[in-house]
Amino acid sequence: MSTLFSGQLLFAALVVGSIYVLIALGLNLVFGTMRLLDAAHGDIVMLGAYTSFWLFTLSGMSPLLSMLVAGALSAGFGAAIYYGLFRRLLANTQLSQRLEGNSLLLFFGISIILQNVAALCFDTTPRAYTYLDGIIRFGNVAMTGNRIAVLIIAAVLCAAAFLFLRFHIYGLAIKALIQHRQAAAVVGVNIERIQLLSFAIGFGLAGLAGSLLSMTEQITPFMGFPFTVAGFVTVILGGLGNLTRGMAAGMFLGFVEIYGVALTSPSLHSVLIYGVFIVVLFLQSQGLLGRRPS
Amino acid sequence: MSFLTINGVSKSFGGLQALRDISFDVEQQEVVGLMGANGAGKTTLFSLIAGHSRPSLGSIHFKGRPIAALRPDHICRQGIARTFQIVRPFANMTVLDNVIVGALYGVRQERSTARAAASAMDILADLNLANRADDPASSLTLSGQKRLEIARALATGPELLMLDEVMAGLTATEVSELLDSIRRIKRRMSLTILMVEHVMQALMRLSDRVMVLHHGELIAQGKPQEIVADPKVIAAYLGPST
Amino acid sequence: MQPVPIRTSLIFVAVIGAASFLPQFGSEYVVAVALSFAMWVALAQSWTVLCGMTGYGSFGHAAFYGMGAYVQVLTWGTLSPWLSVPLAGLVSCLFALAAGYPALKVRGPYFVMLTFGLAEFLKFSIIGIEATLGQFSRLIIGAPSPNALYLAMLGLAAAATLITYVVSNSRFGYGLRAIREEEQAAETIGIPVARYKLTAFGLSAFIPGMVGAVMAMRLSYFEPSQAFDALISFNIVVMAMIGGSDDARGPLLGALFLIGLSELLWARAPQVYMIVLGALLVFFVLFAPQGLAKQLFGGARRRAT
Repeated sequence: MSTLFSGQLLFAALVVGSIYVLIALGLNLVFGTMRLLDAAHGDIVMLGAYTSFWLFTLSGMSPLLSMLVAGALSAGFGAAIYYGLFRRLLANTQLSQRLEGNSLLLFFGISIILQNVAALCFDTTPRAYTYLDGIIRFGNVAMTGNRIAVLIIAAVLCAAAFLFLRFHIYGLAIKALIQHRQAAAVVGVNIERIQLLSFAIGFGLAGLAGSLLSMTEQITPFMGFPFTVAGFVTVILGGLGNLTRGMAAGMFLGFVEIYGVALTSPSLHSVLIYGVFIVVLFLQSQGLLGRRPS
Repeated sequence: MSFLTINGVSKSFGGLQALRDISFDVEQQEVVGLMGANGAGKTTLFSLIAGHSRPSLGSIHFKGRPIAALRPDHICRQGIARTFQIVRPFANMTVLDNVIVGALYGVRQERSTARAAASAMDILADLNLANRADDPASSLTLSGQKRLEIARALATGPELLMLDEVMAGLTATEVSELLDSIRRIKRRMSLTILMVEHVMQALMRLSDRVMVLHHGELIAQGKPQEIVADPKVIAAYLGPST
Repeated sequence: MQPVPIRTSLIFVAVIGAASFLPQFGSEYVVAVALSFAMWVALAQSWTVLCGMTGYGSFGHAAFYGMGAYVQVLTWGTLSPWLSVPLAGLVSCLFALAAGYPALKVRGPYFVMLTFGLAEFLKFSIIGIEATLGQFSRLIIGAPSPNALYLAMLGLAAAATLITYVVSNSRFGYGLRAIREEEQAAETIGIPVARYKLTAFGLSAFIPGMVGAVMAMRLSYFEPSQAFDALISFNIVVMAMIGGSDDARGPLLGALFLIGLSELLWARAPQVYMIVLGALLVFFVLFAPQGLAKQLFGGARRRAT
C-alpha cells in the first residue's frame, strides 16, 4: 500500500496524463470547430512516433529536435486530409446532416488505412530506441531523463496552446467558432481558414505527442488505437469542445489509469480503460458532464 | 365531465417558471386557439399535454382519465395527436410512408399496411398532397411539410388534434387554403382542435374560443372578437399604455 | 405484413436449395468459401435489422459472435450442438437486452462508440477471466463435419435473410424506420420507441450468437481475442455500408463484395486487404452514402423541387 503514496506513482501519472492532455487537445479542436469525431487521432500519434524513431535510428537526430519535424509533418497531413476529404464532407448538405456519425466512419476508414500502411512499410515488429534513459533521483523518486523531458515539453506545449487560444487572434477565432459557428462567420471569422488551422494544430499536437512517446514506449503500427480511446474518454469527460476542462480531464485519466492498475493488476489495464470509457459515455448521454456547445 | 381538463398546471425549468397555475377545459368538437408572445409558454403547454414532459404541479385529464404521467406514445394511443412547430418529417421516407406510419400506430393500430395506405391516401388528398405521395418528404416545400405534419397526425386517428403554429411561414394564399382544409377535415372527422397560432386571421376564423397566455399565466379567454378588444390582452401585446 | 411476392420467394427457395447441394460436388475450398460467405450474410443481415432500420449503428457486433462462441466452447461435451447453438443465440440475445436497455438511450455517434466500448470491455473481461482460469485457448475435439457445419451456417444465413425481409416489410419495420428518421416524432405518433429499439437489438444479436457457436466448432478452438475481434464488427459495418440499404438486399450485396475481396487478398496480403477496406469505407461515406443497393435498384431518390 505504501507505494500508492510514493512519488513514483504520482510522477508516472503526471507523465501519462500530460500525453493524454496533448492528444485530447487536438481531438477537441477538431471536434469543437467542426463537429468531426476523429477516430484516427491515435494513428497520427503513431506516425509521429515512427518519424522520431526513424530519424533517430537512421541519422541519430535527437527526438527533441525531430519532434518538430513530426509535428510539422502531422500538421501538413492534417491540412491535406482537410482539403482532400473533409471540406467535401462539410460542404455536402446531405452528408453533414449526420456529420458526427459520418465523420466517425470516415476517420475510422483513415485509421485502418494508416495502421496497415504503417504495418506494410515498417512491418509489425515493435520498435524502440534509447535516449536520455539515465536515472535521476529526487529524494526517493527515481525517474528517467526522457520522462522528465516528456513532462516538461508537454507542459510547455499545453501552456503555449492555452496562451494561443487566449490571446492570439486566430486562437480567439477558434474559440469563437467553437462557441457559435454562425455568429463567428457574421463577425468576420474566416471559417475555412480556421478549420484548416484547427486540423493542422490538432494533428500537429498528436504528432508531437507521438514523438514524446517514442522516447519511452514501444512503437508498433497499432499503438495508436488505445490513445484514440483515451483521447475520446478525456474529451467527453471534459465536455466536447471545452478545451480547458479537457486538460484537467486528461490528467484525471492519467491518474485513474496509473493508480487503477497499481490497485488492481496490469492485466486489467484494458478492462479499466474501457470501463471508464463506457461509464463516461453513459454519463454524457444523461447530460451529467456539462453541455455540449450548441 | 369535460373532454380535456387542465387543472392547476405549473411547470418550471430550474429556476424559470414557464407555466403558472394554468386551468382550463376544452369541450368535445370545440376549436380553441391559444395565443401569446414568444416565450409565453404555449409550446411548453403542448409538450405537457402530449407527454414530452411532465407538469411540476397539477393534473391533466383526457376523457376523464389522468394522462400527465403517460409517455407520448401512450397519450397518442388515447387519441391525442400533435404537430411540431419546427416540422419533423421522416425525411428519407416518402410522403405516403410518413402518413402510413401514423395509421399503423396511434389510436388506429392498423395491422394491414394496405389498409393503412388506403386511408393515408385519403388524408393526403384532404391536404392537397396526393400528387406528391411517392416523393421523399424532404423534397416538399415548407408549406408541404407543414401539411404533411398535419396529415401524419391525422392518420393516427385522433379525437384531439393539437396544431403548433402550422400557419407560420406560409403565404396568404397557402394560409387560406390550409384553413379550408382544416375546417373540412374537422367536420369529417369530428375533431376537437387546440391550436397555437400567431396568424390572427387563422385564429379568428377557426376558433370558437381564444385563450391568451402571458409570461406563463392565462390572462384572458373568450370569443375571438372579445379577446382582441380585451384591454389586458392589448396591454400584454403592446405593453401597458402610458 | 404484405404478402411475400411469389417470384422473390421462388428465387429464395431455389438459391437455398441449390446451395445446400454444394457439398455434393464442390471442393473443400468451395465449401469453405461458401461457409464464410453464409457467415457474413447472416451477420450483416442481423446487423441491418437493428442498425440499418433504426439508425443505431453498432460497432460491437463482435461481442454477440464472441459470446456465442464462448457458450459453445463452455458447453462442449455436455450439450449436443442442437441445444448449444440455440442456447448461444439465446445468451447473446439476453446479453443484448441487458446491455441495450441502458445503451439505447445513448444516441448517434455516441451509441456507435458505446457499442464498440462495450464489446472491447467484454473481450478484455473474458480474456481476464480465461487467464485467471489458466485457459489461454480452448479446443473443441470431435466437432461435426465441415459439410454439416456449412449446412447449419446456410440455414442461419437463410433465417437471417428471412428475418430482415419480414421485418423490413412489416409494421414493425415501418416503426423502426420512423425511429431512425425522427425519434421524437415517432414516439408522438404512438410508436413505443424504447421497446422497439430493444426488441430490434435483441433480434439482431440472436443469430450472430448462433453464428459464433457454429464457427467455434468449425475452427475447433476458442481464443477470446479472436472470437471477440473488433475486426468482425468492422467487417459487418463495411459490408452494410457497401450494400447500403435497410432491406435484405444490401447485406447480400455487401457480403458478396467483401467475400470476393477477402478471397482475393486476405490470405496473401492481409494488410492490403485492410487498406482496401478502409479506402472503401471512405469512398462509400463520401461518394455513395446510399450504398450499392441504391445504385443498382434505385429507390426513393431525392427529387428536385
